[in-house]
Amino acid sequence: MKNNTVFTLAMSKLRFHKSRTLLTGIAIFLTTTLLMGIGTSGIAMLDMNRQYAQERSNYHAAFYLETSEQLAALSNHISVESMAAVENFATIINGKMNGFLSCYENVKNGLYFDNLRLAEGCFPEKEDEICSLPAFFERVGAEPVIGGKVTLSFRVNGKGELQTKEFTICGLLPDKEITSNIDDSRIAWGAYISKSLLESYEQTGAYQLSCTAYLRVYGEENLNYTEITDKIKATAADIGLNEEFITLDKQYLYTMTDPGTETMSIVAGICFIVILFSALVIYSIYYVSVITDIQEIGKLKALGASKRQIARLFFWQGSLISAFAIPAGLLIGFFLPYFLFPFILQALGRDALDSAESGYMENLTGKIHMFSLPLLLTVILAMLFTVWISLLKPIRMAKKVSPVEAIRYQENTGSKKLRKGHREIKVTTLTLANLTRNKRRTTVTILTMGLSCVLFICASAVLSSTSAKDIARRNIPEGEFRIALDYSLNDKEYPENNLENLVQQNFFSDAFLTQLSDIKGVEKVERAHGKISSSSDGDSALYHNNGEKIYLTFSYFTREDLQDLSSNLIYGDIDYDRMTANREVLCTHEYTFNECALALGDTFPLTLYDGSREVPLTVTLTALTQPDADYSLLVITEDLWNSLGLTCEPTTDIYLHVEDKQYDSVKKTLADIVAENPHFTLYSLDEEMRIGRSSVSLIKYPAYLILVLIAVISFMNLINTMITSIVTRKKELGILQAVGLSNRQLVRMLSGEGLIFTAGTLLISVILGNILGYLLFLYAKKTHFMSLSRYHYPLWETICLALILLIGQSIITLFISKKIEKESLIERIRNDE
Amino acid sequence: MENFKDIILKTENLCKFYGAEDNLVKAVDHINLQIKQGEFVTIIGKSGSGKSTLLHMLGALDNPTSGKVWINGENIASFKEDKLSQIRRRKIGFIFQAFNLIPSLNVWENIVLPLGLDGKPLDESFINDIVETLGLTEKTKNLPNTLSGGQQQRCAIARAIASKPSIILADEPTGNLDTKTGNEVMSLLKTSAKKYGQTLIVITHNEEIAQMADRTIMLADGKIISVEKGDTLNNEK
Repeated sequence: MKNNTVFTLAMSKLRFHKSRTLLTGIAIFLTTTLLMGIGTSGIAMLDMNRQYAQERSNYHAAFYLETSEQLAALSNHISVESMAAVENFATIINGKMNGFLSCYENVKNGLYFDNLRLAEGCFPEKEDEICSLPAFFERVGAEPVIGGKVTLSFRVNGKGELQTKEFTICGLLPDKEITSNIDDSRIAWGAYISKSLLESYEQTGAYQLSCTAYLRVYGEENLNYTEITDKIKATAADIGLNEEFITLDKQYLYTMTDPGTETMSIVAGICFIVILFSALVIYSIYYVSVITDIQEIGKLKALGASKRQIARLFFWQGSLISAFAIPAGLLIGFFLPYFLFPFILQALGRDALDSAESGYMENLTGKIHMFSLPLLLTVILAMLFTVWISLLKPIRMAKKVSPVEAIRYQENTGSKKLRKGHREIKVTTLTLANLTRNKRRTTVTILTMGLSCVLFICASAVLSSTSAKDIARRNIPEGEFRIALDYSLNDKEYPENNLENLVQQNFFSDAFLTQLSDIKGVEKVERAHGKISSSSDGDSALYHNNGEKIYLTFSYFTREDLQDLSSNLIYGDIDYDRMTANREVLCTHEYTFNECALALGDTFPLTLYDGSREVPLTVTLTALTQPDADYSLLVITEDLWNSLGLTCEPTTDIYLHVEDKQYDSVKKTLADIVAENPHFTLYSLDEEMRIGRSSVSLIKYPAYLILVLIAVISFMNLINTMITSIVTRKKELGILQAVGLSNRQLVRMLSGEGLIFTAGTLLISVILGNILGYLLFLYAKKTHFMSLSRYHYPLWETICLALILLIGQSIITLFISKKIEKESLIERIRNDE
Repeated sequence: MENFKDIILKTENLCKFYGAEDNLVKAVDHINLQIKQGEFVTIIGKSGSGKSTLLHMLGALDNPTSGKVWINGENIASFKEDKLSQIRRRKIGFIFQAFNLIPSLNVWENIVLPLGLDGKPLDESFINDIVETLGLTEKTKNLPNTLSGGQQQRCAIARAIASKPSIILADEPTGNLDTKTGNEVMSLLKTSAKKYGQTLIVITHNEEIAQMADRTIMLADGKIISVEKGDTLNNEK
């Protein structure tokens, strides 16, 4: 046989076995689509992050400067590519408003800030000019129009005498809508004044330079993250600025200097699994085709075909199908994310916390760069490799076929010669007989289908655990509202804001709590565990930062908390009574534990601040845990805490449970109460849910997309299994019908087989999927991936999977048996003869 | 031969055509045939003469292009698929050249298959009798691929007889067997048919077998060209 004869033969085989050709084609096409789709999405995600990072601003670091010499040295530094200085002129005094006046100066061109693009007017030049958001002006009681007047009270440098000045509005920044829904104290309001005003204060000595210099260094394109941060730090050192006075825009730097290793490795991981499953699917199609073609292969060998020619015959078939399926898959795989991404962006935009963010998302739509030649080539190579590897074993089998054996061939039932069988035959007997005939194939089929569904369940387990409510519950663990005390621990300038001083004011007195309980609709008010400030004279890194003593909160846990603490135990053990008796302490934060190089057995000579009183206490660290709820870094038992005889009221947080119907009115009342106390912050469940949703949606949509893709693979596998199992038994089914099997019985028999496959698949995927899913969840939780905190059983996803499998296999069975019925019985019996 | 009373199988202008116009193939061309209960008929003819097509239509496996088939006085042309499968498992036993046993079932299960599909209670002594007659007693638990060709065909015969059909149709039942085994199988088939009072229609190329029959019908180009031995049929060329 000449080579072109082999080619012609391969072509005619493809035409003859249409359903097989179509199946293989679909499998290759879908796999290519998935690979290309996932890869393209990865590229798009990288580009989106890049653009998103650039959109807000393009600075590398912020330097906090205190002298004009530093400012001058920095602006002339050789490494600085571009720079802008924002001088923090004054703090606005206006009730609870968290506002400040700054002066923006462009020192070296090349920086941009999205929040500084003027919507109207110009930046302030004259001494009385001011520009800000329209919402800012409304908030301070002025009409946001150019030329409008606004009177502001402020303290220069945030201290000293209160000053009042009338300004003229010269510019308006684009409005943000965030203001209406989020509590005032949680937003920083800024307004810009002119350099000339600043200078006038500077000359009189009333203003001391307090400036944030935003800058870019040279080499963003060539340097990696470490190199560029080293360069920034070196620049700071050159102008005599300590490292603690610089803040890196880590997200921007990561995005711009990272070649996307993390995203790409996730993409590669998913692609690997996709390849694995589709190789199995393609392999099983060819495996079955060798078995059904064995007589034909034998005849070809009898006619003189060499082993190489047989191998080439299969390779040609694979290549010819690939020649159509791969390019089609590449096209669809590219255009699927191309058209889907805008939808995802819109969805992200909808859930975004503020309108500015949603604006970025909308702006990005259509601008994302998705095409990558290396990706295209990789996918082509990966697919050719997949087809090649799935052909290897079937080809080896085909090569081994001996001409004599082949012509006599009957399907292999293994070494089995006898079958116990049944005295009477029913349709179910037929179903079971077929499944047990080739146990290995049945098991392999159930396993491959099961495994792809395991992926589905596994992913849903993690996905169903990313809940906005869990994120919201971190800020409001109980009830619907939380009133929190705003406190500092280490504020030297304003020591009155430190916890030990605030607790002396007894904010959460019984009278105050009664006042809250009396609000109509409030069902219950409860105190969270109290907290006090602590410090240590020991040499532990926990209580020291760069040689300076720092203060941390200190609290307790109750016997009710034991479950949460023990189930998340990492090192040591928690024995409540022993801990009380031996004055033992528990660390509740793994990261800090490792960062400060703590060890079990460490002792801390502590000073606890009971208001103005200092209480000494030496404790020994005996366990590390990472509980779901929020605790102080170090906690002792409640009994030990009570034995300390503290006199202050240590409550820092209270939770309110309210009736659903009264939610809005309670919120309003609480907001008014909280507004009277500058140290209170109100957290409400609806706002926290919004924040939670916005961070969940970042993960949710891409993950759902992947989940759907995984479901498609599983389903493809199911379709293939059903079709091959029926099509390859066409003749046998024909014989059964010739001896009297009715169409209804045929459908019953095939559905029975399908049901067993489905049941097996479900069993494997539910058991394995949930175990693996839970492990994956634990891992994700430990590494703080996707902000998971609580495990949710993927019940709906499991039910969906079961329904899809059941309905899917029934539809396929019906469809194929109807198709078979159209072919005459005689043709089927003669099939392959 | 004088005992033939009832007509069990009858065709009227039975046709099966494939293709159209220039490519029209008349596989079976206006055949009129009557076969009586208990009769043993052989059909002979060259390859492509329409023997198998005729047999398939007689056995309700294939639909005629035109014409009618009566089985036990019932015209099966109007029957739906479910009713046809019922006819196949109750009235007809089919034996194929390629045996066509179900590979996943053992010999016993293959034999009782048509009964099981009909939901009929199993008459074990009757089946045991067939198994014994056909010499398969030792092989009932064997899977088909462990049997010799002769044994497989005997199993197929047992399957055809098991549901006590009134008609047994055999398409070259000895075609895949050596002469000795072929003769053995044929005489077993004939004996069983006689024992259970069944009508036997056999396609064969084998002269010897044709000689055994009550009547031999010769086909060419889809038409009956001669009928030997018997004198009771209407033969329209």
